[in-house]
Amino acid sequence: MKVTLRKQLRTRLTLWYVAVLGVILGFYVVLVLSFQYALVTRQIYHDEIQEVVTVEGLLFFDSHGALQLQQNYFSHPRSHLLIDRLMEIRDLSGVVLYRSPTLNGMSLGGPSLPREGGETFNERVVKLADGSHAFVISHIHSMQGRTVLIRLGYSLAAFRERMLQFLGILLIALPVTLLVAGFAGYAIAKRALSPLEQMAAAAEKITATNLNDRLEIENPDDELGHMGRVLNHLLQRLEDSFVQLQRFTADAAHELRTPLASLRTVGEIALRGENTVDVYREAIGSILEESLTVNQTIEGLLLLARAEATQPGRERTSFSLVELTGEVLSVLEVLIEEQQIVVEQGGQKLTSAIVVADRRLVRAAIMNILHNAIKFAPARSTLRIDFTTYETTQRFVQLSIHDRGPGISPSEYEKVFDRFFTSADQEIASKSGSGIGLSVAKLVVERNGGTIFFDPTVSEGARCVVRLPSPDAKSGAGQYA
Amino acid sequence: MPTVQAQLRVLIIEDDKKLANALVAGIEAEGYNVGHAPTAEEGFFQLHSQQPDLLLLDLTLPHRNGLDILRQIRREGIDVRVLILTSHNNVEDRVEGLNAGADDYLGKPFSFPELIARIEALLRRVLPSTASSSLKIGDLILNTRERTASRRGVSFELTAREFDVLLYLAESRGRTVSREMLAKDVWKESSRFTPLDNVIDVQIARLRKKVDDPFEVKLLRTIRGLGFSLREPEA
Repeated sequence: MKVTLRKQLRTRLTLWYVAVLGVILGFYVVLVLSFQYALVTRQIYHDEIQEVVTVEGLLFFDSHGALQLQQNYFSHPRSHLLIDRLMEIRDLSGVVLYRSPTLNGMSLGGPSLPREGGETFNERVVKLADGSHAFVISHIHSMQGRTVLIRLGYSLAAFRERMLQFLGILLIALPVTLLVAGFAGYAIAKRALSPLEQMAAAAEKITATNLNDRLEIENPDDELGHMGRVLNHLLQRLEDSFVQLQRFTADAAHELRTPLASLRTVGEIALRGENTVDVYREAIGSILEESLTVNQTIEGLLLLARAEATQPGRERTSFSLVELTGEVLSVLEVLIEEQQIVVEQGGQKLTSAIVVADRRLVRAAIMNILHNAIKFAPARSTLRIDFTTYETTQRFVQLSIHDRGPGISPSEYEKVFDRFFTSADQEIASKSGSGIGLSVAKLVVERNGGTIFFDPTVSEGARCVVRLPSPDAKSGAGQYA
Repeated sequence: MPTVQAQLRVLIIEDDKKLANALVAGIEAEGYNVGHAPTAEEGFFQLHSQQPDLLLLDLTLPHRNGLDILRQIRREGIDVRVLILTSHNNVEDRVEGLNAGADDYLGKPFSFPELIARIEALLRRVLPSTASSSLKIGDLILNTRERTASRRGVSFELTAREFDVLLYLAESRGRTVSREMLAKDVWKESSRFTPLDNVIDVQIARLRKKVDDPFEVKLLRTIRGLGFSLREPEA
């Protein structure tokens, strides 16, 4: 299929090229022929006028009153055309006074026209009795007291034959030329497109196992080279995400295997030897708890997949980030109370704290961030929540959550958002949950056009900053409202 | 245990043998008459021959999609309540299942107490709920109208959430309530990926401090791996 398509492109190019060339050549032939015809006709006309003047000098009435042509004229022919000259002379009443022998007694142009030859030469093409055509001019001439009408012409037969021959040659040459041009064009197109073929062949060989292969690019500056580079970038991105996916799958398997291992061990140990009911109860309870952990990890993975599949713009609504945060805080309130954490809020009166995003996903994100902050915050510490706006080319609502916990070591500012990240710090790691909460938050925020990061400038604790796009007139994001 | 007039029949169409066997045993223990069919064809046969009151339907069956079966059941106008059990557990699947004529939908893995609660809710749906404004568990009295609670005449200060949790546990009449049920029904959290377990545990601990700590008889119990129950201890 691909091969025929590719050939079709080449064929199409050639056909177009040949068609255009054919039209241009045809137009050229017509132009040349018409120009030639006009030029030669003009020449004949001029010759005939000269000829009439010459003939007028040679005409005389003999003693019997018959019109004669001085015969010595033929001994000094001025041009070879003179031999072919057709001539007829009439008086004004239409009586034929003289006919050249070349006419073989035929009439040159039939009866006299009114005022013929008086003001103009009345140049015209006439048909003779034998079917041939002649280009004729007429002229009134006065001599020896009498007025005669001279008609003088040349047969066009020879000229027309030449023209036809010429046309014939051109018409034979045209298809030959087109054929040659077509083959040449086809060959050139094939040559020009051959890198494409090579690229296609190379691309066909690339599968998931050799995504690191790249297309060879002969000339990076031409169109095909450009395409090749684009394809190579595409492959690079594919490879990156594929590697990421592989790592993620491995991590996920590991993350699931750990609770499964403890689940299995607990079961096996409980079944070893006779035990009391309480021991079995304890073991089964522990197994169920671990199974819940496994399930939660799976739910987290599914949420990640769902957030990843989120199309920008779908399921977005306008909502107040302040309100959403309040909602999340009220859910987590018992934890805050239990640890006697003081929540300080600033800027929640911000009137424009409206953001445009998928509310459900953002809620899960904020829930994870806040839960994290509360988890790591020491008892009776302060949790600072601030709402501000942030403007670049677009308006954002910025939410920052600053806890007074152990903080994040500078080398881990980025890594904390990795899936299944566990801190190198044992104490922090022991408090960590499934390890995907923050990566879910990051994915959700970024998929909704926002940014999330930990402020590297804080000296105490950790300050998580979330920016989500706010609807403003400029971006027209209000359409989601 | 339900003191049912005639034994209600439950049919399980589920191809996973292990899960099916566990479900049969578990639901029978709750006092129902339980049948099991591993395939859609077998399920249809039993559906016609046994005329169960409730069908537990797995959606991913060999040969035939569970939704097809459900649609056929509704087309044929068979009078049976249908509870879908499936691991396809996103919102769209749920909507599709309910549109096809399911009465309820439970995602795998589910907690067994929740399954039983749903089954009972479905089979009792027609009965009017108790009009009484007070609930009594042992010496604990809940006034649902004034939203107050007391034990032996001593009333406690409860937050709105605490009262909701206590009421939910009381309405479950001694049955075990899982954390997922609390999250869904009391906290109204639809997403399962919310770190609510901590919140629930802390909430229960605080509730226990008020309801149980001052008294000798403990009502609020934690069943490890399952959840919580509110009932009088058996002698």
